[in-house]
Amino acid sequence: MLLLDFLHTQSAHCESGVAANLLTHHGLNISEAMAFGIGGGLFFGYLPFIRINGLPLVTYRAAAGHILRQIAGIPGVCMVEKKFRNRDEAMAELDHALAASIPVGLQTGVFWLPYFPKALRFHFNAHNLVVYGKEGNEYLISLARARFASGALAPKGKMYYLTQAPAELELAPHLVRGIQSVCKMMLASPFPLIGVKGIRFLAKRLGRWPQRLGREKADLHLGHVVRMQEEIGTGGGGFRFMYAAFLQESATIMQEPRLQECAAALTAAGDTWREFAAMAARICKKRGRPEDSYPAMVACLNRCGAMEEKVFAELRQWARQHS
Amino acid sequence: MQHPTSDSTEKIPLPADQGITNGLKVMSYVRNDSGKYELTPDFLWQPVSVVNHQAWEEIAKKITAARNKVEAGRVSCLHYYMIANQMDPGLVAQYTGQPRWKVWLHLVPFIFNRVPADTLRKYAAMYKISLDDLRTGRLLAPFTMTNNQE
Repeated sequence: MLLLDFLHTQSAHCESGVAANLLTHHGLNISEAMAFGIGGGLFFGYLPFIRINGLPLVTYRAAAGHILRQIAGIPGVCMVEKKFRNRDEAMAELDHALAASIPVGLQTGVFWLPYFPKALRFHFNAHNLVVYGKEGNEYLISLARARFASGALAPKGKMYYLTQAPAELELAPHLVRGIQSVCKMMLASPFPLIGVKGIRFLAKRLGRWPQRLGREKADLHLGHVVRMQEEIGTGGGGFRFMYAAFLQESATIMQEPRLQECAAALTAAGDTWREFAAMAARICKKRGRPEDSYPAMVACLNRCGAMEEKVFAELRQWARQHS
Repeated sequence: MQHPTSDSTEKIPLPADQGITNGLKVMSYVRNDSGKYELTPDFLWQPVSVVNHQAWEEIAKKITAARNKVEAGRVSCLHYYMIANQMDPGLVAQYTGQPRWKVWLHLVPFIFNRVPADTLRKYAAMYKISLDDLRTGRLLAPFTMTNNQE
């Protein structure tokens, strides 16, 4: 048995949690929300051509690895990232890093992780976790499987660890940069499936689901959207609340009441997302109230889009003044 | 006991629904009374369990349909295991390193009976069942849903 001296803090989202934990291990104390914000983790994308369990991918966060890559770009932080073709090689490399007492982040497919709750073991391949010790052979076999899960977003044995992190970090420029990158994604993407445009696109499509797919399948699609939004790991409200927490923290650091207002506005947007999810859940359960309907949900989503557009426009302006 | 994970598996009472998390610790960002966000454990929002339940009901429906099809002799037992583990032929093909069309063929009972042992072993290892189960066409619950595995 091998266990590293690693202080683990429970987190709401896997990737930002991993990033915060790895940085903290290297002596840079950072909260999860901060890591999420600096890493530019917020996103929206409706990508119907990628299927998860036969349902279209809706994502409320940046692609797996985005946060870590952004954080690795901070001067003074050195991150090693590796992908593998060969399973034995990948596991040997992991052992090697652990033997050198380096905690390692892995991308895995949750279906193969035995510790994962039964009800969440779907074929979803973008779960990040930290390995900071090992024990038991059985477990390692599952882990090897999980690291080489196939299907959409296959991890290909990806592992990463930090070799260096600064002890002190001036957060201000990095959080401005993080905010800028999120604003760019949300407002200025040329693709109609991404950002605020993506929310509106989803709204449009969602309104047509009952006619196109039939009631039952439409409800399944709807449930999937909500699952992606509220599943454990999102911090609730499709990461909007977590980002609002980051904005609040930034407001304190920068002494900036405008950010505080943005946080409040984003919270309102998150609440609207929740309103949508609650309505969707009632419809999925076939216990809809009289005012629940697909057109009502479309209106709700459009409201979310409008609110987020306003928040990120404001944030973009703020970031421009501070960069 | 396992350590190398990012989330501990301590048993904690959940206010909303025990069934979903199955004892996994949950953290969320929740506002406190003054509107400030705090990382709060044990907070689970009700509609999540509704939609999760919906997803699993759909899977259960598919599994029952697959079982009936196998018992009627229309498909091989590989079809049942594929569906029970939420896979499709493409995914099975990727995991076992075979072309897709071969997996498609293996879903036909007549062809499945002639599949070489090496290939069967790959399937058995993937679904964590024995070679014998596949050969005799025993339909066991998928390993993710039973407790005594791994």
